[in-house]
Amino acid sequence: MDALIQLLANGALMGCIYALITLGLSLIFGVMNVVNFAHGDLVMLSMYIAFWMGSYLGFDASLTPLITFPLLFIVGIAFYYSLIDRTLRQKYVTQIAVTVGLMTFLRAIAQLAWKAQPRSLPYSLISGNFQIGSVTIMTSRLISALVSILVIVVVAIFLSKTWAGRAIRAVSDDFDASSLMGVNYKGTYALAFGLGSALTAIAGGMLMTFQQVDPTMGLRFGLLSWCVLALTGLGSISGLLISGIIVGCAEALAMGFWDPRARMLVVYMIFILVLWLRPRGVFGRK
Amino acid sequence: MKKFRFALLCLLVLLALVLPIFFRSNPYNLILLTTILLYGVLATAWNIIGGMGGQLDLAAGAYLGLGAFTTGTLLIRFNLTPWIGIFIGGLVAVLFAVLVGLPLFRFKVKEVWYALSSAALVEVLRIAFIMWEKVGGPVERYLPSYGSPLYMRFGSYIPYYYIMLTLLLAALFINFWISRSKLGYYLIALGDDEDAAAVLGVGVRSSKLKALMIYAFIVGVTGGVYACLYGFIHPNFFSSPLSTEVAILGIVGGMGITYGPLIGAILLVSIRELLRANLGGQLESLYLVIYSTVLILIVLFRPRGITTLLQDGFNKLFSRWVRKNHAE
Repeated sequence: MDALIQLLANGALMGCIYALITLGLSLIFGVMNVVNFAHGDLVMLSMYIAFWMGSYLGFDASLTPLITFPLLFIVGIAFYYSLIDRTLRQKYVTQIAVTVGLMTFLRAIAQLAWKAQPRSLPYSLISGNFQIGSVTIMTSRLISALVSILVIVVVAIFLSKTWAGRAIRAVSDDFDASSLMGVNYKGTYALAFGLGSALTAIAGGMLMTFQQVDPTMGLRFGLLSWCVLALTGLGSISGLLISGIIVGCAEALAMGFWDPRARMLVVYMIFILVLWLRPRGVFGRK
Repeated sequence: MKKFRFALLCLLVLLALVLPIFFRSNPYNLILLTTILLYGVLATAWNIIGGMGGQLDLAAGAYLGLGAFTTGTLLIRFNLTPWIGIFIGGLVAVLFAVLVGLPLFRFKVKEVWYALSSAALVEVLRIAFIMWEKVGGPVERYLPSYGSPLYMRFGSYIPYYYIMLTLLLAALFINFWISRSKLGYYLIALGDDEDAAAVLGVGVRSSKLKALMIYAFIVGVTGGVYACLYGFIHPNFFSSPLSTEVAILGIVGGMGITYGPLIGAILLVSIRELLRANLGGQLESLYLVIYSTVLILIVLFRPRGITTLLQDGFNKLFSRWVRKNHAE
């Protein structure tokens, strides 16, 4: 019983970070219908940048998002204007081809700069753990989960209260009507892509406080975030958190009770089953 | 024009037949040629479901791995020669395609979600085979080396080249034949607009399933040869990079054009391997940086494929040639 609660706690904390990663993907896919295969690799990239800043510049991993967030925001906007904008009117296949090219590019850059072996940081300001009853909670995981929830709430407020956020939602709801109402779609798309990419910076920095990173991480986080998105559907931010936690718990249970190697197997199986049974997601509105 | 094309085709086949003679002294070049052909076969097979049918399948690695593991396991356990094993491998891949395709097409999983679920499938199989220690497991299983052509083991790479070439010609022929058949027209229609095609009486589900089965069979057979070529089987044969690359070759080559994916494979795989050979020594994966940049540029500026560029050039050349002949 204790083992079960322990696993569920770890899984739920991890799930909040998954939800944060998926929020970025959901912004990009929901707003401009662009399938970004490189999303997971952006997570990997920000983890590597966090590692690099941690080991050479002495930054603490949990503080690196202060710098990587604006950095990835700019990177995202640059990607949008240089690549995505040119493919908006093409078939989805062309878009996927471009983002797959981007994915290969990012992965190759990571291998070039940091080689293939896993990297991790030895120490973080928020490392350590504490007990609640019989359950041990890692402080870094708890704080990462809290930061993720906080960021998700902030983004939700941004989307509903600010002009720019409303523009993003308007364009995703009805492209034609919003253009007629004077929303500049290019600027809005760029903003959504930049924000979606920048959110991975926070996730990457927080993950780096307790995880190691290697170049295959991109594929894992990419498929994983698509799995959470498929489970959620589009347009539900609270649904994202629930789905993230479901996926995180399923992963943790598979690791604990079946086989550590089976963690991603279970996630992918959920993904495939959800696609077959609920193609519009469980919590979505579209 | 038609005669001219036929002559060109015959010339190219002849060239492909004699090519190994020039390279026989250097095994590296032979592996390179065989690899190019391998990607050519995979991309050509992908053209059936991806190019014509418009279903962005990213599961080539799944069928390749199934073919390789069936062939390899039959050889290791039951001493069955790969000459039969590869076809059983193809059938296993077809069986798997049916198991996956039936629910996928029944529940109308399409476009992005089809692509993603097929990508997930490759990883599912890879992990499953790593965990299934009786057949797979984390270490390579070497095929028994009888060293006899009866077991598809040869002293040189030249026979593999010809086996791959045969597969390629078969794949091209199947492609050509489908593009002229009812199934081909159905696929092109539903690749353009699925709902419209369904209204017009196209059996969307059965056409997709047929395309997927043919594709799986070709890739499965190729997987069997792949296992013999490398002499071992390993769960990493269920490779995601390979699967996405096959689709990319198809897209970059020119979707729906019979020989498009082949041209994509010839050009891009040679570029990649040349880069790898020349840069790999100092900085591994620098070649991938350049290669992916080339890929992105081609897709951005020639979204319909590099083959269309060649076609334009060919047509221009041909019309000039015709005009000159008329003038004389």
